[in-house]
Amino acid sequence: MRDEDNVKIRDVARALREPVRIDASFNERVMRVVRDLPKHSRLSFWRRWSMPRTITVRPLAASLVAASLALFALVGLWHVSDDLDRAAKPIAKAIFPPKAAPPQHVQFVLVAPDAKKVAVVGDFNGWDPSHSAYQAQHRGGGVWSVTAPVPLGHHRYSFVVDDSLWVADPTAPRVVDNDFGTANSAIVVEEQR
Amino acid sequence: MIVERVLRGNAEAFGVLVERYRDRYARYALHMLGNREDAEEALQDAFTRAYRSLSRCDDPERFGAWLFRILVNRCRTVGARRGRRAKTFVSDETALLSASEDHPAEQGAWREEIDRALQRLRPEQREAFLLKYVEELGYDEMSRLTGVGVSALKMRVMRACDRLRELLSEVHSA
Repeated sequence: MRDEDNVKIRDVARALREPVRIDASFNERVMRVVRDLPKHSRLSFWRRWSMPRTITVRPLAASLVAASLALFALVGLWHVSDDLDRAAKPIAKAIFPPKAAPPQHVQFVLVAPDAKKVAVVGDFNGWDPSHSAYQAQHRGGGVWSVTAPVPLGHHRYSFVVDDSLWVADPTAPRVVDNDFGTANSAIVVEEQR
Repeated sequence: MIVERVLRGNAEAFGVLVERYRDRYARYALHMLGNREDAEEALQDAFTRAYRSLSRCDDPERFGAWLFRILVNRCRTVGARRGRRAKTFVSDETALLSASEDHPAEQGAWREEIDRALQRLRPEQREAFLLKYVEELGYDEMSRLTGVGVSALKMRVMRACDRLRELLSEVHSA
């Protein structure tokens, strides 16, 4: 007999937790209603791709699919690699500029028996007649020469005699300088092998 | 997975879900509504609504919890409609007390006393008590289920317990 002043809630709860049985005919009543409702015909796009499911695959079919994918990937990779190569070259060049080829040493010679000073000027030294590396030395007999570094490529140059007289190289082709109208010499420096 | 089968158009697979959850959730509906007719109505309504809305069940793995939330709402609706339709026996305290006087010492009678006392609780207190002590849910889950704050739920449970003690003590002292 329970103490009327101290009814235990847990006893009440235990009694209420006893199973309740519903007649099985309930299922049929629910299903009758369900059958009258429109069937779910498809999954939503998101659910179709997010819902876990079991997939059955035939080994032969799986092998064929895998081989097709591999072939497709190889062909694609081949094409993509060409495209990537073309696209990447300028970028790579900007990020990792190719190492500049070292300048070649070119010997400049001018016969100027009356000269006291001869220098070589060109686009490779900023047309600076005082550039120390391009000061010619008198080798005797009126022959002045200097061996100086010139970058690879096409260049224009000239001799400056006694700081005032511009003299084109008589042994080299001449081009007209558009800025001053004076004749300069042309030289093509190539990498020595 | 059953939910997926139903969503793919196999309506009959829904019967498995009905069988699985029928008795378990019938208990809550019966205690909440106090009679089998209303309980089965609420339960059937919950199942059919769940079927119609199945595509909106975010987590099929937790179909049971989702269905239970629907059932709790249906019990509220059916209970409110019943309240408008007619005052049930629980409003007649004299009848309740006299009805339980015949065999107070018997186990069956004790159980009837509990059922009647339960039905005399305010619906929101009954709901909170059942979820807490019978369905054994935590307050956070109760809050998610009912949309009621944890503090309010604790208060409802406390008042439900006090009221049950009071009602059941009255029966024994009568």
